[in-house]
Amino acid sequence: MALLEGRNLRKTYRLSRRNTVEALKGVEVSIEAGEMVAIMGPSGSGKSTLMHILGLLHAPDPNHGPAPELLLGGENVASLSDNARTKIRARRMGFVFQDFNLVPTLTAAENVMLACEYAGIKGKQAKVAAVEALGLVGLADRADHKPSELSGGEQQRVAIARALVNKPEIILADEPTGNLDSDRSAEVLALFRQFNREQGQTIVLVTHDSEVGDACDRVIRMRDGRIRDQGHRAVDQLAAGEAVA
Amino acid sequence: MRLVRDLGRRKLRSGLTITGIAVGIMALVVFGSMANKMNALIGGGSKYYANKAVVSVGSMYSGNIQPLSLSDVKRVEGVEGVGAAMPTLDMMLSDTGGATMGTPEMITADIPGGDKGYETFKIDLAQGRTLATADADSKVTVLGSDLARKLNANVGDTVTLRDEPFKVVGIYAPTLTAPDKDAYVPLAAAQELFVKSLPPLIQANINPSVIATGIVVYPKAGVDPEVLKTRLEAMLGKDYTVMTGKDFDAMLGSFSAIFSMVLTGIAMLSLLVGGLSTINTMAMSVAERTREIGIKRAIGASRWRIRREIVLESAMIGLIAGLIGLGIGAAMTMLFNDLGRASGNVLFDLTLGTALTAIGFSTGLGAVAGFVPAWGASRLDPVTALRYE
Repeated sequence: MALLEGRNLRKTYRLSRRNTVEALKGVEVSIEAGEMVAIMGPSGSGKSTLMHILGLLHAPDPNHGPAPELLLGGENVASLSDNARTKIRARRMGFVFQDFNLVPTLTAAENVMLACEYAGIKGKQAKVAAVEALGLVGLADRADHKPSELSGGEQQRVAIARALVNKPEIILADEPTGNLDSDRSAEVLALFRQFNREQGQTIVLVTHDSEVGDACDRVIRMRDGRIRDQGHRAVDQLAAGEAVA
Repeated sequence: MRLVRDLGRRKLRSGLTITGIAVGIMALVVFGSMANKMNALIGGGSKYYANKAVVSVGSMYSGNIQPLSLSDVKRVEGVEGVGAAMPTLDMMLSDTGGATMGTPEMITADIPGGDKGYETFKIDLAQGRTLATADADSKVTVLGSDLARKLNANVGDTVTLRDEPFKVVGIYAPTLTAPDKDAYVPLAAAQELFVKSLPPLIQANINPSVIATGIVVYPKAGVDPEVLKTRLEAMLGKDYTVMTGKDFDAMLGSFSAIFSMVLTGIAMLSLLVGGLSTINTMAMSVAERTREIGIKRAIGASRWRIRREIVLESAMIGLIAGLIGLGIGAAMTMLFNDLGRASGNVLFDLTLGTALTAIGFSTGLGAVAGFVPAWGASRLDPVTALRYE
């Protein structure tokens, strides 16, 4: 069974009274557990919108055409309340964004602990988990530094630690390498790859960067609010290959 | 701690807002302390006047208290329901008088034991003893606490009251009310001082031993002072004023009400100014932190949590401002009291209640002011907030 499965996903944004943008025009998508998937496409293709819906940041439109379905672990989460979606984001998902988005007044460890707090883990337990997560991204010695004292690459690794700390079912990353030079991009990408391989972490990345796409198991290509290509499942190929062998 | 750090990233703005509220709270503390003192004075008077009637000639508030004669005391004693009638003599300690804040210093005299045990208003002693029947013809005095401090007198010392030496036999404990500035002397001594203060022509025609400025009338048990007042007025006629506890309360209750209104006015003003500037500060801080709120919402902070964070930060502004305002206000009241003590003017009484009210008020103000921006922040769409530049 797919970890995350969407059907009839539509989203229309109203920019003004007359001007609306149909960002998603009925999308079907399926993410398997343990997959590392890239969503690619030109600007305005709907890839970020899709990620926001998969990440429960926005709900799909309920009343344009057939009823939308969004199954997370088999449960339909398409029409949950804001509170219920927030709770799922806090406990079952991790997020990484292009601009690192750390809280400037908090240290690296405190930034990571925020995610613990929202997931209901507090105090010493949160501290231990945060330090461990920072260790995983190679920043154990930077735990007490403020974001302003860290390089861009380091900040993004803190953000990854924050996404990882609750051991979520899925990590969603929106252009995670968009503001990094190619060396730092490669580092960040290698981290994602490592967590995916070693811990079976499911990861969905939205990216412009074809190098990022190449590093993933599968690339979903979008254009004009629709999925043009669901991509090939490297995992399936691998499994098929193993069966043949 | 995180809250304080968040305030610390906009030091100037937070500082200005805090200063604004602190000034309001300081005013609240100072005027509140003044009102406490006033209310204590009035409350003390109210307690003194309870369950008795005080007779004087003319109006006490015309500033012209004419002497009564002891024969009036005899007449009053004859009225039905009177348990005891005691002549008293009150006069300003200083002839020069002049304007004093609060109550003036007084020489006050009665006959020890003249109340026949009816008096319920007792002042605790700090040192020595009260006046006794045996003191009737001596130049002795018991001083109120403020006056004792001003004269730097202890039991056994001799002080000069209206150019006459008096031996201090006792000092009362502070009451924070009018008796703190009184010198209690036996009636005979006061009568002598009183006559000496009159013009020589009048002096010659007056027998000091019959003068009083007031008669304290104690009703017998079960007799309503108001009923007694009616009888006394009927007997004494228009030239005399009879005052009961009820009259006192009616008269000075309005002072109390004015003070409460001034205090409420200050509170409303600081509410308005402090509240608006806190809303402004918090709204700006929310706008600046739009992205931060977006990320927090995205990674799982509930709307409630965002609201709580902003309301707490806003309440923290109020709390800090309250503490600063209270600190400055308390320092001011203490300084003024110290300066005033030399001249016997202790004007402020900063109570724990006033202090806690001031802190609670400013913290509550901060919290309430935080609700408006907090509500807005919690309604932000996380995706839009994340894109906010």
